[in-house]
Amino acid sequence: MLASISWLKEYVDINVTPEELADKLTSVGLEVEGVERLGEGLEGVITGKVTHIERHPDSDHLWTCQMDYGTGEIVQILTGAQNVKLNDIVPVAAVGSTLPSGMKLKKAKMRGLDSFGMLCSAEELGIDAKLLLPEQREGIFILPADTPIGVDIKEVLGLDDVVLDISLTANRGDCSNIIGLAREVAAVLNTTFKMPEMNVAEKAAGNVNEMAKINIEAADLCSRFSARILKNIKIGPSPEWMQKRLRACGMRPISNVVDVTNYVMLELGQPMHAYDYDKVADHTLIVRRANKGEKLVTLDGQTRDLEPSMITIADTKNAVGLGGVMGGLETEVTDATVNVMLEAATFDGTSIRLTSKELGLRSEASGRFERGVDTVLNNNALNRAAYLLEQVAGCETVAGIVDAYPNPVAPFVIKVSPAAINTRIGVEIAKAEMVKILKSVQFEVVEEGDNLVITVPSWRYDVTCDADISEEIARMHSFDKIASHMPALPLVQGRQDVVEDVRDSIEDYLVSVGLNEVMTYSFIHPNMLDKLELAQDDSRRNVIEIMNPISDEFKVMRTTMVPSLLATAAYNLARQVASVKIFEVARNYIPKALPLKEFPVETRMLCAVMTGKRDELNWTATKENVDFYDIKGVAEGLLAELQVEGYELVYESQNYYHPGKSCGIKYNGAIVGYFGEIHPTVAANFDVPEDTYIFELEVASIVEAAIKIPKYKHLPKFPGMSRDIAVVVPTTVTMSELETVIRANAGALLKAVQVFDVYTGKQVAEGSKSMAFNLTFQAEDRTLTDVEIDEVIKTVVEKVEAEYKAELRK
Amino acid sequence: MKEKLLELKNQALAELDQVTTPDQLKDLRVKYLGKKGPMTEVLRGMGALAAEERPIIGQIVNEVKSELEEAINAKTEIIEAGALKQKLETEKVDITLPGRKQTAGHLHPVTLTLREVKKIFMRMGFEVMEGPEIENDYYNFEALNLPKDHPARDMQDTFYITEEFLLRTQTSPIQARTMQSREPNSPIRMIAPGTVYRNDYDATHSPMFHQVEGLVLGENISLADLKGTLETFCKEMFGNTVEIRLRPSYFPFTEPSAEIDISCVICGGKGCRVCKQSGWLEILGSGMVHPNVLKMSGYDPEKINGYAFGMGIERIAMLKYGIDDLRLFFENDLRFIRQFK
Repeated sequence: MLASISWLKEYVDINVTPEELADKLTSVGLEVEGVERLGEGLEGVITGKVTHIERHPDSDHLWTCQMDYGTGEIVQILTGAQNVKLNDIVPVAAVGSTLPSGMKLKKAKMRGLDSFGMLCSAEELGIDAKLLLPEQREGIFILPADTPIGVDIKEVLGLDDVVLDISLTANRGDCSNIIGLAREVAAVLNTTFKMPEMNVAEKAAGNVNEMAKINIEAADLCSRFSARILKNIKIGPSPEWMQKRLRACGMRPISNVVDVTNYVMLELGQPMHAYDYDKVADHTLIVRRANKGEKLVTLDGQTRDLEPSMITIADTKNAVGLGGVMGGLETEVTDATVNVMLEAATFDGTSIRLTSKELGLRSEASGRFERGVDTVLNNNALNRAAYLLEQVAGCETVAGIVDAYPNPVAPFVIKVSPAAINTRIGVEIAKAEMVKILKSVQFEVVEEGDNLVITVPSWRYDVTCDADISEEIARMHSFDKIASHMPALPLVQGRQDVVEDVRDSIEDYLVSVGLNEVMTYSFIHPNMLDKLELAQDDSRRNVIEIMNPISDEFKVMRTTMVPSLLATAAYNLARQVASVKIFEVARNYIPKALPLKEFPVETRMLCAVMTGKRDELNWTATKENVDFYDIKGVAEGLLAELQVEGYELVYESQNYYHPGKSCGIKYNGAIVGYFGEIHPTVAANFDVPEDTYIFELEVASIVEAAIKIPKYKHLPKFPGMSRDIAVVVPTTVTMSELETVIRANAGALLKAVQVFDVYTGKQVAEGSKSMAFNLTFQAEDRTLTDVEIDEVIKTVVEKVEAEYKAELRK
Repeated sequence: MKEKLLELKNQALAELDQVTTPDQLKDLRVKYLGKKGPMTEVLRGMGALAAEERPIIGQIVNEVKSELEEAINAKTEIIEAGALKQKLETEKVDITLPGRKQTAGHLHPVTLTLREVKKIFMRMGFEVMEGPEIENDYYNFEALNLPKDHPARDMQDTFYITEEFLLRTQTSPIQARTMQSREPNSPIRMIAPGTVYRNDYDATHSPMFHQVEGLVLGENISLADLKGTLETFCKEMFGNTVEIRLRPSYFPFTEPSAEIDISCVICGGKGCRVCKQSGWLEILGSGMVHPNVLKMSGYDPEKINGYAFGMGIERIAMLKYGIDDLRLFFENDLRFIRQFK
């Protein structure tokens, strides 16, 4: 809402600066987002009259004008504009004046002739062209013939005004107009306000109730509809004083009738519409729902298909307007209009909102209906508009108002307890002070014992319960005066769920081993599942779809996080990030059935992706890319950190993994995650290299293990003994197979087996590899001897050699 | 014999004088004192001597030997000290070469901020509650005093899945869920962090972002308590010099409602581009819980009241770290993420 301070001043005395007023309004809940001085930078521009005009002798486009500022002196100014005529009154930037562009006027010479200033266009004065009549936009701004000369242009065009840009909250529709704001200003400045002049002369003959009929058929969509009739109207531009106020509030002047309806809407908050009385069939207006298939050509010339949900204004033949949204072209007021029917009505805000949304016709009027208008004071607008039209359009008004108001709104009365209000706010405000505050914002208050009985003003439809009254009191008392206090509640354990603790542990561990956390959108493009090469019957293709997505890219709720992480990896690789190690803990959205009938399952997952260099470039580090054992290291490290024991890795993964370089993590009988190298096809689909590695883990599966408290084990009292063996076996033999044989034959003294070298190459036969193990032995009750361990090693080596055709590597 | 021994000694001492390296020293020791050295030879030749001469010569041999030992040992010390000195003087690493390090990764700035917010409230005895991101209309709107067709629903352009299900537009539904899971009228002090969604995508709006919702219910809870709690929060989050201001506002689920501003953390309240010259930054929405919200979730507004608040985590992170573009949070450029700790 843009509010002109000069307009406000007409109804309330303002003795503070615009900035002070802005702060005061903000502090009572009317947030002022900006204070704009309209004529900023415009200095010394005055009105002047063209007393003589002729072509420049040496130019075919310049004109030489002799200008009169009323000082008795005539000044020569040259202009290149073509719309200036003898006796026109125009804005003149004389030598020494400045324009909003920062330009400072100096004497100039053009093709040999002196020019002592410049005639100005509206744009040069800093006026937004959108707010001007078409004829005012081109060339020099020609002012009305009765404009005095030698006067500061800021005064003439209202550029001396200051405009407040107020961001109104949805509940304060009553302040979307000058009078509504004047009420609040009066309350915050502790003064009074007055209402506009609205005494209609009513000189036209006739009985208004015979001259027009109104019939509300859809009473649920329209609670009041009233009209006045004005005769012998003279259509033309509205006076400059009205135009400048409309411009200041961001509306474009059009013609006197339209301007008056807009002016009254800005002043009183009541949207209005003017019909050409003689074009309304049977002078009857009917408020109804549109018929199926009904059409209407609206003011903007477009043919609209109407729906039964839309509030339609019709005469006895056709639809003539969409109530509160836009009028019809057929009954529009034109230059030929003689008699006018003015409408002021209250339409249902929800219906207006849906209609204007549906048709893409949001307007100042529809916005006001959405927030609600003051039904009780509806007719003030008709009176004010008729009064103004009598002044600016030379018309006569028929006495009386045709008023269809089937169920008058009763005043709303609330009884409140001042003690309860003080408790809610946490202050001690005396009852008398409360009464004073409420009266300052026009509530009527009667004391009844300890309580207050309050009649809410008709425009404050947002006030419906005692909590609302407490807000009125708190905001006018000032939030600043409320002292800070901490709630007196019992001490309790401030905590988060253990699942969240585990999530934090996962994140912390992964960060500690060099992975970076990312945050990707929960919605993905459906083709991501194709790029992941999921089978057509894969359950992850049952995705929850968003009805109104921003684009296909954000269309379905993900059932797997892998695509998002792969896309993020590709994004970073494309930006020359050499080592991409990323993870995210987030949710997958798994529907129980589609379309959604009950809440889906939101599964918390960890997904990590590693690709590119193993290490950041460093002279000490390997220059190699990550491989399977890097992702495995991350997975094993995390599971160890989370105290997950007894899991098994199985050759069973997903088809977006390389089948021979990936595995499933089997834990407590179920597969709870996967890791491994990406499938080459999927890698190509996502534009990542083939040596890209993925790790997925279902968070819930490991929570129980992760929250265990570790139990202390006694440290050994006697020294242990360690031996290395290296065996050469066929490459198909796994480490785990060898370890099993070693453990089975090394006896109870064996405490640990670690593989510390794996070798293939020249030193061993083709098809074979050498694996070196370190075995640690430990007895609880004695120091071991070489002899007994040599015996054990001998047995182990024999068994390994027998089982795997292995040979001890020398 | 004696002369020969003394000559040997002098010769050895003279040679020792010329020795400069440990290797030469070792050679010298072997040459004169080794098994094949001249001393050994002399000792071996003792058999040929007269019996009475033997002890005398033996003594001289021993004297010469130990004299030589001592001299060599002394020289050894000197040479070793010199060698160490030289070693220390010549051995030198390039301390400007980068170290061999394990580089830790980084948490996302939203996580860092969320954790900090949670920590502050947990210290004040708040429970952290979670809820579903796919919500139904009832919890996301109706239970929060936003009946169907309420205009405020438009302010939160909602992603719908069906008529009934939607992506939550706020973490507020957890208010109603928590109240309904508790004994009616029992006190509550909770925050609800989470991901929320709105159908809005431009330089200053992301379709997905993060909020923390808060709710405190009890007997005689007031706007002054709200102010105290959130002032404490803002000071913990942005430092004790920060001031707060409450501005009346409107939310359908609270009454009275207040926007909370903090004095601008960039300019200290003097006015800058970030605070649009106002000296204040909007940081939180809050208010006293609307009686309808309490009633709908089984609480009696005559007995229990309280306050609720909500904040955008990205906004707080932007102010905290001086990030000027919301889109960076979800682009996941590692060069961005690696800046935060």
